[in-house]
Amino acid sequence: MEFQTPQSGEPLIQLTVNRVVEDSNTDTRIVVLTRADGGPETFTIWVGAPEGESIRRAIETAVTPRPMSHDLIKSFGEHFGIKTSRVVLTDVKSSTYYASVYLESKGVTRTIDARPSDAIALALRTQAPIYVTLDVWRRRSGQNLDAWLAKLDTKNLGAQEV
Amino acid sequence: MITQMHVKGLMFDPYNNAYIVILRDEEQAEMLPIWVGKSEASSISLALENVAPPRPMTHDFMKSYLDAFNAKVISVVITDLNDNTYFAKVHLMYEDSEYTVDSRPSDAIALALRSQAPIFASESVIRKQSSEELEQWLENLKPEDFGKLDS
Repeated sequence: MEFQTPQSGEPLIQLTVNRVVEDSNTDTRIVVLTRADGGPETFTIWVGAPEGESIRRAIETAVTPRPMSHDLIKSFGEHFGIKTSRVVLTDVKSSTYYASVYLESKGVTRTIDARPSDAIALALRTQAPIYVTLDVWRRRSGQNLDAWLAKLDTKNLGAQEV
Repeated sequence: MITQMHVKGLMFDPYNNAYIVILRDEEQAEMLPIWVGKSEASSISLALENVAPPRPMTHDFMKSYLDAFNAKVISVVITDLNDNTYFAKVHLMYEDSEYTVDSRPSDAIALALRSQAPIFASESVIRKQSSEELEQWLENLKPEDFGKLDS
């Protein structure tokens, strides 16, 4: 495992999770993030169905009868006094996004490597801000995806195609 | 009283379209089947096979989270069975204090396997599950329903 020191000076853009879209063809979910500053562009990440559902539950603040995996991580943090300071989408390689989770306890900061889905699922549960580096933002995929997503949403809403 | 259990394997339950983690005690006298979801089963399977996926899966992330602050999983205990739901506790050591955290058995087992921590079951859980219903259900299983089981 690698612990990195928090990089400073790298320009970051804060993101907000807008919604989770179901991609019924592939049993995956698409997490749609928007700029916290209100910019119109979106950032989309494909995630597995369980991770996507975990993010959806966090957005909807849905409570499950038993703690799910990310609730358990949150619970560890609450017991130990570990705070999630922020999560950063740090890199993209071969269409895979990489994330770092910054944790803090009694002035000690640790950074752990994570998939964006786990990082976002934890950030939403711990009210931690989500950032993307300017570099990754510029290299984001699916810049022509908005139209496609809009179509997908419409299709999900009405059952005109039955 | 608690009994140490070992993960003997994973089975697919075709009737409920779910997976079953099979726990057995040392003497192979007691068996505890625990129904888990697909993603939890796959996480437990990766740990059993010692497979490191290219990216950390959720329980690997959970383990890194604890490792980052030297929090150690001491043990996990399957504590109760209520309305067909199993309950578990994760016992951890952090900065010389012991903590007990409520969890689903699937998360507890997935984490225990990654932390080389022992898995226990309480007496009451073992007693409750050894019902006739379960025996019958197992008798009805066909050999092809069994997935990978330890030899």
